[in-house]
Amino acid sequence: MTETVIAVKGLKKSYGAVDAVRGIDFEVKAGEVLGLLGPNGAGKTTTVEILEGIRTRSSGEVSVLGFDPEREAKQLKERIGVCLQANKLPDKMKVSEALDLFSSFYQRNIEKAKLLARLQLEEKKDAYYGTLSGGQKQRVAIALALVNDPQVVFFDEPTTGLDPQVRLEIHKLIEELKHDKRTIILTTHYIEEAERLCDRVAIIDEGRIIAAGTPREIQSRTLGTTKIEIHLESAIGMEALPENTILSEDRKTLTTSSTHAAKTVVELVKWIDANGLGMTDISLKKPTLEDVFIELTGKRLRD
Amino acid sequence: MKPYLAHILSNLQLTMRERSVFFFNYAFPLGFFFLFATLNRAKETNTISAVLTSVLIIGLLGNGFFGGGMRAVSDRETGILRRFKVAPPGALPILVSSMIVGVMQYLPVVLIMLVLSIVQYGMQWPANWLSFFVFVIIANFAMRSLGGIIASVANSMAESQIIIQCLYFPMMLLSGATVPISVLPEWAQALVQFVPATHMVTGLQGILLKHESLLDNWKPAVALLVTTLVCTLISMKIFRWEKDEKLPLRAKAWVLVVLAPFFVIGAWNLQSKENITKSKILDRELSRKQTILIKNARVFTATGVVIESGSVLIRDGKIAEIFTGTSPEAKSLNALEIEAAGKTLLPGLIDMHVHLGAPGGVYEDTKKYQDLSLTEKRLKSYLFSGVTSVKSAGDWVDSTIKLRDKGRSGEILSAELYTVGPLFTAAGGHPTQMLKYFPENMRAIGEAQFVRVPKTEADARTMVRDLKIKGVDGIKAVLESGWENFPMVRLDLKILAAICAEAKQQGLSAVVHTSKAIDVKDAFEAGATGVEHGSPAELLPDELLRKMAASGFYYDPTLSVFDALRMMEERDFTRLDDSLLQQAVPLDLLKATRKSISSQQGRPEHSAKMDIARTNLKRAFEAGVKLVTGSDAGNMLVFHGPTVQQEVELWVAAGIPAGQALIAATRTAAELLGQRGRIGSIEKGKDANLLLVDGNPLKDIKSLSRISLVMLKGERVGRSSLLKEDD
Repeated sequence: MTETVIAVKGLKKSYGAVDAVRGIDFEVKAGEVLGLLGPNGAGKTTTVEILEGIRTRSSGEVSVLGFDPEREAKQLKERIGVCLQANKLPDKMKVSEALDLFSSFYQRNIEKAKLLARLQLEEKKDAYYGTLSGGQKQRVAIALALVNDPQVVFFDEPTTGLDPQVRLEIHKLIEELKHDKRTIILTTHYIEEAERLCDRVAIIDEGRIIAAGTPREIQSRTLGTTKIEIHLESAIGMEALPENTILSEDRKTLTTSSTHAAKTVVELVKWIDANGLGMTDISLKKPTLEDVFIELTGKRLRD
Repeated sequence: MKPYLAHILSNLQLTMRERSVFFFNYAFPLGFFFLFATLNRAKETNTISAVLTSVLIIGLLGNGFFGGGMRAVSDRETGILRRFKVAPPGALPILVSSMIVGVMQYLPVVLIMLVLSIVQYGMQWPANWLSFFVFVIIANFAMRSLGGIIASVANSMAESQIIIQCLYFPMMLLSGATVPISVLPEWAQALVQFVPATHMVTGLQGILLKHESLLDNWKPAVALLVTTLVCTLISMKIFRWEKDEKLPLRAKAWVLVVLAPFFVIGAWNLQSKENITKSKILDRELSRKQTILIKNARVFTATGVVIESGSVLIRDGKIAEIFTGTSPEAKSLNALEIEAAGKTLLPGLIDMHVHLGAPGGVYEDTKKYQDLSLTEKRLKSYLFSGVTSVKSAGDWVDSTIKLRDKGRSGEILSAELYTVGPLFTAAGGHPTQMLKYFPENMRAIGEAQFVRVPKTEADARTMVRDLKIKGVDGIKAVLESGWENFPMVRLDLKILAAICAEAKQQGLSAVVHTSKAIDVKDAFEAGATGVEHGSPAELLPDELLRKMAASGFYYDPTLSVFDALRMMEERDFTRLDDSLLQQAVPLDLLKATRKSISSQQGRPEHSAKMDIARTNLKRAFEAGVKLVTGSDAGNMLVFHGPTVQQEVELWVAAGIPAGQALIAATRTAAELLGQRGRIGSIEKGKDANLLLVDGNPLKDIKSLSRISLVMLKGERVGRSSLLKEDD
């Protein structure tokens, strides 16, 4: 039986009158990759930062590697690696200097040359941080998260704002870490990222976990449902729509999902015809995590 | 330890790569250094140590506030600090490394400026160089940590700018770093005591100028250390890693807590005036450091030589060189130039007999008789008039010694004061009759302060020894026979002999107040050093004068006070029309005195006859007796101010050659003061106590009152402001 590395029970955090986290429970086993999926402001970052020991909690129990992140922050920080959502270093700091500096903070260190090689930063080791590309900066951030050879690594939206190719590079790096049997918590609002990297996913919205499980399990909740998307010739004028349908912002796309696709499609087509509207395209899709999310929350992951 | 070193290394690397750091930390202070040195003419005025202090303080403030404070805020604003938050070491290494790097950055500048001051501007390597560096480092830490606390409480870059400016400019202007404290109004001087930078200024100046050690400056040093510690602790407590974390307004009060040690020290200083005094003394030292060349003057050296056209170089408060004939260029000597063609330069004049406690006239406002601050003003009137040294021949001893020491330390600018303290006399003898006018409750204090009435010889000796310990500069006894209708008890001659012998043993002069010829004779035979007044009543026997001359006995005729008696009798107020007198003496005093004497009925009773006093002086001069000038100022119509001028005029009128009278007023007087090694003549190595007058007093003695310049210990006395000063 694999041991539990992270245990969170009834976690709450409020900032003044605002409740950012409203009671979250989950566990992460050693070597597992957990994805926290949710839109901006859902409480992902707050949750992760409480686990990292850099933010206090309002109530609840939290244990990471057996430490209370609030009371035993120092011991905890020794053993974890963190890749923050926004990483910034002084522009005039060289890559290898940054690694040296951060290595000095930990008792346990990975050899710098290995780390540089692994993150393909050897050529850039004498470059100023300010001259690096976005992807290179992110690789530096990951390198910094690994200087202490951590058992648990936190990635807070590791690929946000990066172009697709760089995103793939980062995914490969995280997969390698997964191979090393490190425990990883990853927040993201990219569904593909969660599907590709995570053993389990917890969907967070408004400070609560609204669904959790393996990506497959979650998808299976909507298993059998089909996503139907109908593109119209012109914008819909009326306010009354068929039941369970969502209208896009340009009012030209109707979306719904159904366990009886054929029946629903017929009903929709009839409604369109009855209202004198024209159709340009119709598609039927198997549901994705994003669909699950939309179904669960009624909103999209990215605005 | 590892994270500390790594932070320091990284911090250093980053600052070395920052061009603005180089500019602010090196180019700026050096620019200021040269600018201030040039503006202050540091080479000529020898004020380079003050310039160095100023620039160091400006640098320390900049390094702390801008280098330490702003940088930290900017690191937080840009999100750099955030990354350190997830690492184990926390905030302390960041704070500590900022302080250490601040010092490491700054010390080279300190060294460069120190070397420049020495090589380029002739400053001396600080005697307490270790204290100097340690103090600079402590100050650096404190300012850096103040920068840190500002960063901790400021919520944004803009806010930190405001807080920094609110502290930076007052600290620059109200600390003595740029504007000397002594020129500030009194309320501002009080404020200054609460400004942390003040203590850096006085500390540094003390170490550089007065060769003090760190231990002498333990108060500012401790205050700076406490600030450093408190700042660091509070910074730790309220450290913020992210710009989104805002600090409530009340947390800004932490800045006040940090300044608490300075409130304590400020309150203490305000109460003790210790630091204000120290600043005044330091400012005085600086004014005394100028190198000055007085060119093309007639130089009355008081050594018997008069240089018809000569120049005198003053450096470090002393006469450094005397040139005869063509003067060297002031520039080649790095000296400020005073052109003195047509003028006569003399040693500062000396009055051997004054009573500072009495005004010399009558006040309309009777409260002024009790006003003790007036004694200081009177002492300043002397300096204003070119009388650079006076001897109090009987005043309240404790307050007079205090006043003397204030002048000696440089806290106040006034004539050098010497004092005999209380007068030795017989029970019921002169001047105990004066105490009768004291209110009952004051009489005992008056007696202790003003007279000594020994009953036995042993008594007398003990009293002399006690006074020596108290710190008097000489002893004075009284032999006053009184006059026809008012005979007085005289001091027992054996006791007088004991007083004189003990004084001699203690290295003090013993002068005796005399009135009749017998008093002079007895004083001489009792072993006195000299007599005050001599005899204005009877001609002195030739035999006595011969003996006096042979033994080097001093004779102070105090013609002024006897002439004043004549003036009162004759209602002669010509003296009061003297221009210099009117400048030096308060107008209300002159007016009320004139009015009071004019309205007086009858004639004052006394036995003094001006013609006898004058004849005795002439005969003493001819016999070769050593003469000194005393005025007995404080008595009616002998006002504190240009007393020596009047005395010398009376001497010249009595037939003493002007040159001889001037030697009595300078060299011989200095000799009797026991200060001949230091003052009394214009010779190399003597203190630069000088008087420059228009014209030639050897030909026209009135020109002694036409003052062009007065110098005390190398400081050009600002005569116009001297009597206006309110403090």
